Amino acid sequence: MPGSALSVSGLSYSFGQVRAVDNVSLEVAAGEIVGLLGPNGAGKSTTIRMLTGQLRPDSGSITILGHPMPEAREAIQARMGVCFEEKNVYDAMSAVENLRFFASLFGIKRFDPMPILTRVDLAGRAEDRVSTYSKGMRQRLMMARSLINEPDILFLDEPTDGLDPVSSRTIRDLIKDQAARGAAVILTTHDMFEADELSDRVAFINEGSILAVDTPEELKLAHGQRAVKIRSRDDGVISEIVVPLDDPDATEQLRQAMSAGHILTIHTEEATLEDIFVEYAGRGLTA
Amino acid sequence: MIRKILLKDLSLGPRSPIVLWALVVPFVLTFAFRIVFGGLFNTEPRLGIVDLGNSAVTEAAAQLEGIKVTFLDAPDDLRRLVEEGNLDAGLVLEVGFDDLVRSSAQPQLQFWVGGDSLASDRIILGVTALDLVRTMSAVDSPVDVSVVAIGDQGLELSVRMLPMLVIMAVAIAGVMVPAASLIEEKTRRTLSAVLVTPASLKDVLVAKGLLGAILAILTGVMTLLLNSAFGSAPVATLLAITLGAIMMAEIGLMLGSWAPDTATMFAAWKGGAILLLFPVLFTIWPTLPQWIAKLGPTYYFLQPIFDLSINGATLADVAPQLAIAAVICIALLPLVMRFGRLLEGRLVGEAKHQQPVLTNA
Repeated sequence: MPGSALSVSGLSYSFGQVRAVDNVSLEVAAGEIVGLLGPNGAGKSTTIRMLTGQLRPDSGSITILGHPMPEAREAIQARMGVCFEEKNVYDAMSAVENLRFFASLFGIKRFDPMPILTRVDLAGRAEDRVSTYSKGMRQRLMMARSLINEPDILFLDEPTDGLDPVSSRTIRDLIKDQAARGAAVILTTHDMFEADELSDRVAFINEGSILAVDTPEELKLAHGQRAVKIRSRDDGVISEIVVPLDDPDATEQLRQAMSAGHILTIHTEEATLEDIFVEYAGRGLTA
Repeated sequence: MIRKILLKDLSLGPRSPIVLWALVVPFVLTFAFRIVFGGLFNTEPRLGIVDLGNSAVTEAAAQLEGIKVTFLDAPDDLRRLVEEGNLDAGLVLEVGFDDLVRSSAQPQLQFWVGGDSLASDRIILGVTALDLVRTMSAVDSPVDVSVVAIGDQGLELSVRMLPMLVIMAVAIAGVMVPAASLIEEKTRRTLSAVLVTPASLKDVLVAKGLLGAILAILTGVMTLLLNSAFGSAPVATLLAITLGAIMMAEIGLMLGSWAPDTATMFAAWKGGAILLLFPVLFTIWPTLPQWIAKLGPTYYFLQPIFDLSINGATLADVAPQLAIAAVICIALLPLVMRFGRLLEGRLVGEAKHQQPVLTNA
């Protein structure tokens, strides 16, 4: 893939007898957002841990920004950002101290944490100890931490899990900004709406295997049923007609439905990513 | 990288209960020992004298050995110093005191004793004062007291407790601080956040080890200074403390790598601390067979500190023991690395991975 930021081939990992990740292959381009979509325990976080050098794969190869992982771990990690699922910031330090410490590990001199803290709406609490922060504030601080080295590749593990809508919106906007400046973004989520909104492509992952990888639109076109639902009232009786748009005579069915009485509502329907996931995996995303 | 992690840990020190505890230990232990034993090295009874009449007792008192004598001009000053506990006892010699004694007139002698002075000091000073006065008398004493030293001529128990003070200070800072810091980073997962930067586990372990060693040196030196026990060879004493601090920090790194949480760490400390502390028992009770003390690794820095501080030894005298301490420090390094790999295995979720993944720095 031209401009490939991440190339994974045949990645596998087992915890004892349990196969957590099974022969995963994936390509991610620079500037692309790829969502790993799957229920808890599907293997998303284990995959991220291998990609970030926290786990050594049992088999398979990982190439990130042209370097093999974990052999070139240090070189890769200098250009990588990671936002963990756990809120693992230093509680006894302030946001400013947290960011300055991590900036120093990346060798960044004269790091000014205020612009990024302003971006995540933490400027007003920048000098307060993190132990006084809410869950959402910690999550935003972790997001800010993952961006201090302006990474070329960003791994985000459930970045908006448990956040309020405003905080989620802030994080999503940041993710889009990173992709817009050319960073590859790999995020895990079990939130189908987040995956749909953010991802250029989604990868369905279940029981350690990738079931499908494509754009949300293509997945919906290929696997979901598009339909128009028309509710009408005729002689006081309310009726509902669903016209599948993929039927050969859909146009005729629509014409008949439109003339069947006084139309109350018309809705278009398309499959959600969850519907498609269920079709692939035989289970839901929240299972 | 090591310096950056160390600076972060040092900046977090004042916010860490374990670090604060380690820094307070020398003061608390010294204070506690002074209450129990009356100080390690200020064991001489302190006598104050106000001589209002140029008495010969004053001249004789100045020649006394084993008693610290202070001469003052005014009885009120003397009384105040005794009341404040700065002197154990005070003696006021009135004008013409010597003449009255010689004429058997039985003059009044004011002898003040401090309320918080040690009973042993009171007895010593009381007898000494009477003996000084007796020499002024023209009448022969009805008895002649013969003083004979009996029993063990060795050091006082309070002095023999010095290695206990030192090991407590050095071990708590050297072992507990790096172990607790490492465990906290593991349990809070901040270690994972550090390890996805260019920093390696090796950097983290070296930084934590340095943190423990620096604090252990600091607390060891503080303990000796607080007890006026730095000895006449400060460089050699500092070298012994440094070797002890390194040894303790290495043990701290192993403990921190192995223990999954602080509860396990404290349980291990309670059970295993005797292995570090037992050599001091042989200093406290010198009649025990001394060869057993040499089985403990801490003996090889504690005994040199004791010899340098108490017995007036020189660097040359303690060099063989310090060399063994250095060898122990070096021998512990492979063990530390082994425990580091154990930690690494736990971090990656499975011990099945024998090849390190996080130590390419």
